[in-house]
Amino acid sequence: MKQHPLCTDCENPITPLDLPIPAGLKREWSAVETRRKFLGRSGKVLGWAALAGLFSEMRLRSYASGAEVTSPASATGNALGLPHFAPKAKRAIYLFMSGGPPQMDLFDYKPNLAAQFNKDMPDSIRGNQQLTGMTAGQAHFPVAPSHWPFAQHGQTGTWVSSLLPYTARMIDDLTIIKTVNTDAINHEPAIMLMNTGNMNAGKPCLGAWLAYGLGSMNDNLPTFIVLQTKTNPKENNQPVSSRLWSSGFLSSEYAGVGLRSGADPVLYLADPSGVDRGVRREMLDTVEQVNRQTLADVGDPETNARIAQYEMAFRMQSSVPELTDLSKEPQSTWELYGPDAKQPGTFAYNCLLARRMAERGVRFTQIYKRGWDVHGDAVGTLPILCRETDQGAYALVTDLKRRGLLDDTLVIWAGEFGRTVYSQGGLSEENYGRDHHPRCFTTWMVGGGVRPGIAYGETDDYSYNIVKDPVHVRDFNATILHCLGIDHSRFTYKFQGLDQKLTSPVPAHVVDGLLA
Amino acid sequence: MIAVEKLTVAVRNLRHRTVSVQWRFALAASALLLLLPFIFRLDGQSHADWIQFLGSFHPLLVHLPIGMLVLLLILEFAGRTRVALRESAAFVLYLTLLTGAVTLIFGILLAYGGGDTGATVTRHMWGAIALLIELLICFSVRPAWTSGQDKRSYPVLLSMTLLTLTWTAHQGGSLTHGSDYLTRYMPGPLRQFFPSATKASDAAYAGSVYALNIHPIFDAKCVACHGAHKEKGGLRLDFFDLLTKGGKDGAVFVPRDPDQSLLLQRVTLAQNDQHFMPAEGRTPLTADEIATLRAWILAGASPTAASIPGIRATTEKVEPPLQPVGDYSSLINDIREMQRSQGAKLVAVSAKPSDGLILRTIDVASKFDDAQLARFDRFAPFIVEAELGRTAITDASFDTLRKFTNLRALHLEGTHVTGQSLAKLSSLSQLTYLNVSGTKVTSGALASLSRMPNLRHVYLFDTPTESASEFTNKSPLKSTQ
Repeated sequence: MKQHPLCTDCENPITPLDLPIPAGLKREWSAVETRRKFLGRSGKVLGWAALAGLFSEMRLRSYASGAEVTSPASATGNALGLPHFAPKAKRAIYLFMSGGPPQMDLFDYKPNLAAQFNKDMPDSIRGNQQLTGMTAGQAHFPVAPSHWPFAQHGQTGTWVSSLLPYTARMIDDLTIIKTVNTDAINHEPAIMLMNTGNMNAGKPCLGAWLAYGLGSMNDNLPTFIVLQTKTNPKENNQPVSSRLWSSGFLSSEYAGVGLRSGADPVLYLADPSGVDRGVRREMLDTVEQVNRQTLADVGDPETNARIAQYEMAFRMQSSVPELTDLSKEPQSTWELYGPDAKQPGTFAYNCLLARRMAERGVRFTQIYKRGWDVHGDAVGTLPILCRETDQGAYALVTDLKRRGLLDDTLVIWAGEFGRTVYSQGGLSEENYGRDHHPRCFTTWMVGGGVRPGIAYGETDDYSYNIVKDPVHVRDFNATILHCLGIDHSRFTYKFQGLDQKLTSPVPAHVVDGLLA
Repeated sequence: MIAVEKLTVAVRNLRHRTVSVQWRFALAASALLLLLPFIFRLDGQSHADWIQFLGSFHPLLVHLPIGMLVLLLILEFAGRTRVALRESAAFVLYLTLLTGAVTLIFGILLAYGGGDTGATVTRHMWGAIALLIELLICFSVRPAWTSGQDKRSYPVLLSMTLLTLTWTAHQGGSLTHGSDYLTRYMPGPLRQFFPSATKASDAAYAGSVYALNIHPIFDAKCVACHGAHKEKGGLRLDFFDLLTKGGKDGAVFVPRDPDQSLLLQRVTLAQNDQHFMPAEGRTPLTADEIATLRAWILAGASPTAASIPGIRATTEKVEPPLQPVGDYSSLINDIREMQRSQGAKLVAVSAKPSDGLILRTIDVASKFDDAQLARFDRFAPFIVEAELGRTAITDASFDTLRKFTNLRALHLEGTHVTGQSLAKLSSLSQLTYLNVSGTKVTSGALASLSRMPNLRHVYLFDTPTESASEFTNKSPLKSTQ
């Protein structure tokens, strides 16, 4: 090395730190990147990177690899190792009866109640339960027996209310669960718990978990579709909001895609005049390029989700018109689903769409039907509600069955809670109302994985408490996942330091008695 | 091995008549150590209370020699630059030896007093003895090392000691926390380096009430002390024939007489009773578990019975086992390539390769024809479900489909097949589901399938046959039960 003219000691060359200069300057010098520091630090960085690679989970790596994460089931082996075991059902259709259908007016037959008419329900039945503000102030809790007669149906001789003549026809196929129970007594927490396994918002719902875990079966339609039924102003409609089909902390491409209940299921679906498919394609390609650049710069996985959503929207431009074009449905369809099915937005129409989606490989369809919140005038509104839903549900199950789809489709019918046996407000010979009841309510399932022709669980004489085989909402959801080949306890996503799962941290169990 | 090594060294020293005091001491102590397991023979019986009392200090004491041995290594290493440290190392070595010997004796008392036996107990014990003997040799060769006569032996021996310590301590950890304590919460990428230990069970009784309901109770609550690792009281509950053998107090159950069965007596005692099981404050059996055990013994405690009144089937119920189709993992790259070129997908049924593949054509259905199907020939034995609904395939495809020998479900709805060649499917013995809805298949064609053993779900919606089908009584929901 060439000796510096000032340097007298070549073994230890002078650095600026040895010079008689102000301390501030020295600090500044040591903050400057030198080659030695740079190399030293990059060595450490490499070490950490290697360690991170060793410890990181699939997720971390998949962020880096970009597009692959958008279609977990595209390659044969699912990256998440799902389904855990060979599933009985590949897809599910969830008929959600928002508001809380009264179990003792539909399925939970209590013949002894007639003698109890207008008598106070014994305090021992209610125990120290806290009621809703709507009936907590009532001085009396008069028992209101169901207004409608029950009859036995099918080979199983299951009791069904005369409100549900169509459901009664398929009763031998159904798995009726009389002992579902929930933790919440008000709509919003209860409906969140039912859908997401948690009363608070921010958790992914069943459909989002399925979309994330099982992936799509069809590249041209969303994995998870939500259908709203048009509201009927005669009914007491509780709001439902998109957080019920939200993907929570999962990537937003797993959220439910809502189709509108009007004639136009997706607005602005057709390309504007003057824009042909080629132009649209080019535009999207450019947008994707920009998005890929953003992804490379920022590394936010949500950018990936956005890219996937643009692509899905493009494909839906052709797949949705085909899906909703009912002109080729044979006459037998209309006979089965009834005249309502011709009207977009009715429950029957949505059921028909759900069948068409099942045929086209949509993994999870959820139909919301609001209005079951019969606090008053139960006698007036329940027949309307049942007329709207009974035939559609029956038609859907029957249609799936005759087309050979029910073997691997799970159909679920459920609300967020049940209703009280005692009347809310005045009870008369002609009418009554019913308040929310979380301790027991009736749901049914049918299709892949569940045991047909059974009524599971027993409630007491007032349909108030469970006496045998309770099924908590968490158990209910665990059982649904089981039918789809998923072990709920192993199906987790790390978020906020927890292994989050649909069945929440509280232990849940698959209900064996429900399985085929 | 080590004993032999030590003896040869000692014999050589004897010949040169240079046997130091250290060597004589080490030799005598080693002999004593080797005798210990024969004095306290682990016979599965529990012994005097005072033995058990002393033994219970073993888990406390055991950490002393471990810490000291590590300290010794640090001191010797650091002593290369600071001589004072090396001097204290000698003292630490004495202490290690002393505490190690005490710990070993207490450990043997623990196993002997509590009646512990089992492979892991034995390994742990011999590991500790080997460790102490190695330390004794270290103790003997160290003077030669400090005086510079022998630079090699001591460091090598000390490293060996560390390895032995690690192994022995791991055995001990397995005894206390269960054999999978190290890998249980290990991050996935690390765990793949360790072969996963499978839980013991009787394969012969798979599907029985014993395998599904009884064994899991033992596995969760009892096997930690009555299993392959520890055999408290000479009793093992991890296999049925060992269970029938019983322990030192005789048979643990009397078939059809739960009240006379020791097993039930022990788990239903008052929790503060000294014979209460599970002992040592482990989680007691729940009322449900006890009821299940009682019902099982009452019904004769059979290992094979498939159903017993009072015991509800558990999750792992006996399902008609899916025919395993062999492993397609080696073809995974070909499968990916196939998807890229054909658009049709081969999707895994589940995470288990032996569950097979689904051929999914929905995205390209209208363009998927006989020629394309023929290209999936090579994956034929792995395909268990063929979703060919609304594809462009024709009767010509039956020659390909015939090779799908493991096919369980075949979707042909809305295709141009006519059923003329349907008879070609009759060799598919696994086929349970056939959907020919919306085709021109006639009843005559179906007659050829009536002899297929497993074919239970046949769908004929919207076909000429629909009304007059002999398969209607085989519609899925009616035939499921």
